[in-house]
Order: sequence, then C-alpha cells, then structure tokens
Amino acid sequence: MTAAPFAQLEHVSVVFSGGLRALDDVSLSLERGDIVGLVGESGSGKTTLCRALLGLDAVSAGRVTYDGRLLADELKRDRLAFRRRVQKLLQDAAASLSPRMTIGRLLDEPLVIHGLTAPDARQRLDEICDRLGLPADIRGKYPHQVSGGQARRVAMARALVLRPELIVADEPTAGLDVSVQGDLLNLLLDLHAELGLTYLIVSHNLNVVRRITRRTVVMYLGQIVEEAPTKLLFATPAHPYTAALLSTNPSIDPKRQRLRIVLKGEIPSAIAPPSGCRFHTRCPHVQPRCRTDQPDLRDTTDGRRVRCHFPLMPTGPLTPTGETADAATQP
Amino acid sequence: MLSIRACSDTVSRMDTPLVRIRDLNVSAATPHGEAHILRGLTLDIGRGRILGIVGESGSGKSTLAACLMRLPPGNITHLTGEIVFDGVDLLTLEDAAMAAYRGRRMAMIFQDPMTALNPLFTVGTHLVDVLRRHDASLSRSAALVRAEAMMTSVGIADAGLRLKAYPHQLSGGMRQRVMIAMALLVAPDLLLADEPTTALDATVEAQIMVLFQDLRRRFSGSIVFISHHLGLVAELCDDLCVMYGGSIVESGPVAQVLRHPRHPYTRALLACEIEDDHEGRLVSIPGDVPSPIVRSVGCVFAPRCRHVLDACRHTVPPLADVATGWRAACLRAAEGLL
Repeated sequence: MTAAPFAQLEHVSVVFSGGLRALDDVSLSLERGDIVGLVGESGSGKTTLCRALLGLDAVSAGRVTYDGRLLADELKRDRLAFRRRVQKLLQDAAASLSPRMTIGRLLDEPLVIHGLTAPDARQRLDEICDRLGLPADIRGKYPHQVSGGQARRVAMARALVLRPELIVADEPTAGLDVSVQGDLLNLLLDLHAELGLTYLIVSHNLNVVRRITRRTVVMYLGQIVEEAPTKLLFATPAHPYTAALLSTNPSIDPKRQRLRIVLKGEIPSAIAPPSGCRFHTRCPHVQPRCRTDQPDLRDTTDGRRVRCHFPLMPTGPLTPTGETADAATQP
Repeated sequence: MLSIRACSDTVSRMDTPLVRIRDLNVSAATPHGEAHILRGLTLDIGRGRILGIVGESGSGKSTLAACLMRLPPGNITHLTGEIVFDGVDLLTLEDAAMAAYRGRRMAMIFQDPMTALNPLFTVGTHLVDVLRRHDASLSRSAALVRAEAMMTSVGIADAGLRLKAYPHQLSGGMRQRVMIAMALLVAPDLLLADEPTTALDATVEAQIMVLFQDLRRRFSGSIVFISHHLGLVAELCDDLCVMYGGSIVESGPVAQVLRHPRHPYTRALLACEIEDDHEGRLVSIPGDVPSPIVRSVGCVFAPRCRHVLDACRHTVPPLADVATGWRAACLRAAEGLL
C-alpha cells in the first residue's frame, strides 16, 4: 500500500448558508515538499479551499486528511499540535500584527500560546529572526514603524518558529513593490529548501506563480478546472479558461505580447451556477454539449487534470476509465 | 504666464503639448515632519497621446494626478511650479475658473469605482448630472438618451436597464465602465486614469484594457494612465514617465525607454519584472525607497544605485534630453552602457 499523501482534499464541498456553494467537489493532493500555486479570480473558491485545508471552514461533503488521518479527528485530538503543523501567512501581514504590541511581544506570542517556554525555543526564534534578516532593534518597534517587507518577515518568523510542515501563503507579494518582491520570493524558496517545507501559494500574480511553483491549480466558480505542472500549464494551457486567464497577463517585451483572449461577461453567481460546464457562458469554444453535461475533472496523458469536454490539447485526454476520448482537440 | 499664452497663439497648436508641467514641487505636513512629495517635476503631456506613469508606492504618481486636477491633499504646505494646460497655468487660476476645467476639459477615473459613485443615486442620475452640469437647458429625458448611448459605447449591455440600477447592483467591471462613460460624456481634453484596473479581476481587467485600446481610436484627447504595472503601460501607452521618490527619473516614448532605459532605476525596475520561467534567483533592488521626510541633497536614487558616483551624492541630476522627447535624470545617462 502506498503512503497516503501529506495533505489531501477528497471530493470536498463547502456550502454556506443561503446555498452558496463556495467549493464544489474539489480533490487535491499535496505531497511533502510540494510548491503548489492556486490561481483564479475572486469568488473562484481559492480562500475557501485554503480555509478547508486549514480546518477553519467545516466541509459539507468529502474529507480532508493529513497523512491519511482525518483533519477533524486531528483537531479533536490536539488542536494546538495541528496548528503548529500548518501555518498560514496572511495577505496583509502588517494588518495581521496587533498595533498595540511591540514586534518583540508579537514574536514571542506564538511561543506563549503553544507553551514553548524552554530556552531552546527562544534560541530558535533568535536564529529565525537572524535568518530572515530582521535586525535586533526591531523588537522594540511597533508594527507601524517597520516597512511592509519587514512586517512580512515578522509574520513569517511567527509562523516558522513553530516548525510547521505546511505553509499556506495568501498573496505573499500583494502590496509589495516590485523592487523588493524578488527578495521575499528568494527567501521563501531558500526556506523551502532548508526546512523541507510544503507550500500552497495563492496568488493573482501569474508571473510569481510561474516562477516559483512546481504545480499550478486553476479554479473557476468553486471548482478546479485544470491542474498541471507549472511549466506545462503556462506553455500549453488545456482549459479554455486557463488560456484566457494566462493571456490577460501583459508583457513588457513586445515580442512576448500574446494575443489577449477577452472573455465576455463576468464570473456568474456561485449561488446559481450555470448548468453543464460552469464556464460555458463565457467560453469562446462552447459546444451544445457544454450547456447540459457537466464535464468531470479527468486525467490526461501528459500528466494534468482538466475539466473540459473539448480541451485545447494536441493529444486526446483520457476518460476517467482510461480510454482515449474521441472528440478531443479544438480547431 | 503671459509669455506662454502669447506663444501658444503663434505656434501651431498641435506642436505644443497639451500640458506642460514645470518644476512642480509639493510638500505636506505629516506627524513625522514635512514630507517632500514631489521634487521639481518637469513633464509634457502630448496632444492625443497616452502617457503612462509608473512608479512604486510613495513615488508621487497619485499626487501628480491630484495636482493636475488641482485637488492636492489637504495637508499641503508648499506647492510651487507651473501646470500649463493649453496655455493657461492652472495653479494661478481662481477657484471658480479652475472648477470650470474639472469635469469639463479634464476628467478623472479612480481605482475604486465603488467609492467614486454615490450609493444613493442611480447610474442614470450620475450620468445625467454630468451632462446637465454642462448644459443646464438639456432636459432629463434628452440627457438619458445620450447617457444610454454612451453606456452602450463603453460596452454595457442592456444600457437602458442599467441606467436604473444603483452602483451596488453592478459588478466591479461594470462600475468602472460607468466611470469611464461619465468621463467620456464631457469629451475632455485630458482623461486621468489612476490605477483604473487594479481593483478588478484579471479577465475583467483585460476587458477594460480593450476598452482603453479602443479609446485610442475614438477619443481625441490625451490620456494619463497611472499604473504600477509596467506590462499594461507597455501595451497601451505611447509615452512613459518613470517616477521614483517624488521625482521623474526618466520620460520618453514607451518603446525606446523600455528597450534602452537610460536611468539605472528604470533598468533595475525592468530587471525585477518576472517575465519567464527561468530558474535561479529573482532580482530585487537592494535598500528601501527613500523617506519623503528626509531632504535628499543628491540624486534620490543614489543610495540604491549600482552605478553611483561620488558626484551623485551631492548633485541633483537634471532631467536632461537623451534624444527628442526622451529625458533621463542621471549624471551618467549619456554613457549609455550602464
């Protein structure tokens, strides 16, 4: 028997009161050491997926497991122990730090909450601050007195001191100026290698996802529409939505400027999603079948998963049973 | 000012820029001391051209736009220089005369269309008010007809129905289209767009960018497009102005500046853009953006510049011509090999 994946969502749905289906039948596995990017527009379910993975939103259907054990059981057994394993970096790091506390107290806070009072914990904190390039005198300052980049490093130190296995980073570079985002991304990659971390990185910035992740997951209206190795996804997107999303990313190099695929309309409501394929109302390649039949998320021969009846691919996709589908390619 | 006015009468109008900004300085009071927000800006906005202004946070982009509308922040302590709009220095105008420029010869689109629209009024009322402010004799029904036509032309389906909607009933992209329709209704000579797509989702941003591309053909005025996104500016604009620490470090035709940037900051900024899936380290610019509180004596970029000379630390480099319409504020710009 093969070992269970480190973290796994199996057919997870999250339905909020009022019938809002924020996640609909989402399956995703994270192996130890993975760097997975999660992209999609607002309302696509990225945040809810993260919250389900962190145990912050209860799932309405399906299951979330870590090393094959149910997340719900882990939380019941030892909530704090689970919280140490999985840490989240919030989008607005500066706002996540209490303005009434000094950086020194904010850095100590996780140690206090988790009862890590032994001297080695404090020593570890010093080492991490050192590693993240936080100057010693920062501990006397308040959050509003430090730069955006430093606030992010403080938030990272607070997470790393607990020796997490998985870090969920929500828009790690949002609000950072382009001249300093490279530093932060280099640091994330270095820490990944040094500490053997697993990352799930949520970002609107396609360039960031392309550069630092190994696999990319694309979401639309609460569903995964494509998952593929990052290089493959950016080189030859298979789902029409992925193709349109990637084409919106403008380039400063005229030679690289792609033809922009402009979709009609906006993301439909998740309360009453379209019938059939959820993307059919905006898809430039829509066929009659797409309006009635919901496509499954199917494995393809080139190692991705695509939720489309007519993916944009040179080779035919495989049906869930493993046979090659007939109507495969798009003109 | 008089001489400029006389000048604009004799020289062919098309040869003079629509807006000439000269030595614009703005300071403001903050709890930490006086902040120098704009430091001696000199910039031309060409007639019928799209000027992209890029810069990181705190570079002064939005203050520049606010000064163009003469709506500077309230804590201003010092405002000098010239903003000559079609021969008239806006900074010397009486308030009433200035008000006649706003929303008539110049219009502005903001980053967040939700807060820019009044939640108590329908979209139709917003548009009708704009039209009737210009022509009080216009009847509401006649104004609504023109408003509906403009809504359709900026890509709003069912414009007649949408006129009756309140801002909260529209999506973000639709609201930004309404803002653009309001701005275009007055057929301004200058359209200022401050990060008009930053609050929008990627596929909606693409739609609004197509609308801006379309304006190139339909709209005869000049557009100032402020963005922190170099890629958007590269695709849309004719001219580029790069700001850093309240100064313009480089300005010129967008293709030339991006291909052969002359200022080390422009070059470093381009290097930071993640453009491909190369492996290896990402590039950043060491150091921090300058504090507006500290009065810099030399080049504002000197503390972070890889090519800094001794002279850079005590001489403010002038924004000097590199070629026709292309200027860089660097003592070493002429070397061309930095």
